[in-house]
Amino acid sequence: MDLAVDVENVVKIYEGKTKALDGVNLQVESGKVFALLGPNGSGKTTLIRILTTQFKPNSGRALVMGHDVTTESEKVRRLVGYVPQEMSVWTDITGYENLLIYAKIYGVPSETRKKLILEAIDSIGLSDVGNTLVKSYSGGMIRRLEIACALLVRPKILFLDEPTIGLDPVARKVVWEKLTSFKKEFGTTVFFNTHYMDEADLYSDQIGIISRGKIIKTGTPEELKRSVGGDVITFEIEGDTVDDHVFDIIRRLELVREVTIHNSELIVVTDDSETAMPLVVRLLEGEGVTVEKVSMNKPNLDDVFLKYAGTRLESGGSIKDVRQTRGRIRRG
Amino acid sequence: MSSLSNLRISVNNLFVMIELELRRLRHDRTEIYTRAVQPVLWIVIFGPVIGNLRAIPTAGIPYTDYITPGILVQSMTFVSIFFGLTMVWEREQGILKKLLVTPASRYSTVIGRSMSSGVRSFFQVLIIVPIALLIGVRIVPNPLYFLTATAIIFFASGGFAAISILIASLMKSRERFMGIGQAIIMPLFFASNALYPVEIMPPVLQQLATVNPLSYVVDAVRSLMITGDLSNLLTDVIVIAIFDVVMFIIASISFKRIIE
Repeated sequence: MDLAVDVENVVKIYEGKTKALDGVNLQVESGKVFALLGPNGSGKTTLIRILTTQFKPNSGRALVMGHDVTTESEKVRRLVGYVPQEMSVWTDITGYENLLIYAKIYGVPSETRKKLILEAIDSIGLSDVGNTLVKSYSGGMIRRLEIACALLVRPKILFLDEPTIGLDPVARKVVWEKLTSFKKEFGTTVFFNTHYMDEADLYSDQIGIISRGKIIKTGTPEELKRSVGGDVITFEIEGDTVDDHVFDIIRRLELVREVTIHNSELIVVTDDSETAMPLVVRLLEGEGVTVEKVSMNKPNLDDVFLKYAGTRLESGGSIKDVRQTRGRIRRG
Repeated sequence: MSSLSNLRISVNNLFVMIELELRRLRHDRTEIYTRAVQPVLWIVIFGPVIGNLRAIPTAGIPYTDYITPGILVQSMTFVSIFFGLTMVWEREQGILKKLLVTPASRYSTVIGRSMSSGVRSFFQVLIIVPIALLIGVRIVPNPLYFLTATAIIFFASGGFAAISILIASLMKSRERFMGIGQAIIMPLFFASNALYPVEIMPPVLQQLATVNPLSYVVDAVRSLMITGDLSNLLTDVIVIAIFDVVMFIIASISFKRIIE
């Protein structure tokens, strides 16, 4: 198996205190689309920045396309494309000029430069606005331009940090259409961070779930969802939680594969929802717990996340993240 | 072989950064004009008024002529310090991260972006000098001298932009350094030979002036543009070169803090 990314026991501690990565182990196959899924603050960005040689891990080893990111960082930088979460194009020049500057930084020979840039502009659907200042672009157009800048030099692997954050659903879809077609055409490995589970589900071949600086589970979207198994029944109850003994009774029911409680939601995973649902409702009511709503779903990645990380994907998020997201939206 | 091609990429990166700045200026020249307002006022109003008092010993040079190099250099300092601050802060966070992932070295990125401020300073010279000529400042009529003076301003600008990169890396919040540009520039300006000879300053200020890089830039530009006396030029140029190199190194190291 050809590995695009091979990470062993990587630890990163910021300023001697904050442990951003706590022994990450991860392998990504070449030619695949890999999604690193986790909530804000779980260490996704730190890992991507280590893999793109922006800083070194405190310990552990990370290889990108077979090269060590610490000792062979120059080789790695020649092979990777990178789109950071923040805006990475100049807004006071045109889209064409942005591509031109990046092409020159990478030393693309002048004979092929123009052709390459025009092709790139065309393939991301920005031909009409290539000579307009980036300032006037929408958020989605800016993202596509950034991806074009990264793909201009035909990297072996493309790292994207939250590629669609702050974009509306239509723009998100267009960004992914372009990424998918690039991947098909050039066989580029794509490694992206996201906290949108639908995005990881729809567009990745392989998902790594990260929580508190550790990869806690990897697999294809199907494998991960299957590992939760059965159906997911959510009981919305009155009050934040239930007594421990009630929780224990439900857990010991033969029908129940798994049970968790989180923010007034009692979540039961079962293979036989038709029988389990009334049973649990009766049991809860018998113990004096009022059930306000019941819903039943096939497991999604959020349930996967809940199973392995013990929290919901969308919970949490610091002020800083909110501000960054808002910032992007405003610029968009 | 590999290190040679790395050097080529890095040198190339320097020129690309300068080209980028020219392209940005081509699309929006407002800053060139607004930044020129203040220096023009110094030359058109402050110079002639103070000159009438004949209070400052300038060795026979008309006062406005005497301060013109000082004002040019002050203008350069403003441009470069604010250039560095805005580059590091806010707008370019993502761009800087991305530049770090290119094959060009971190040093060439820092030096290249710093030197870009020289481009903006160069345009300041192009606006201020004609206005100075118009109000009667006499500039040494030697194109070679003038070009050398402009080149000195260009290179010194990079050093001052590097200072602001260093300062930005020490600041944790943007609010804190809104006023910091002024807080660096004005002391540098007043503790230099831009407006008056070092000899008439209080002893403490005199000592400050001799370690102030601005004094050397002013002295070099003044000798090339106004007096034509090049006896100190070599010292000035050496000091400026050392200042640039030291600032580039420190800024490149501190750059790490900015992106982490």
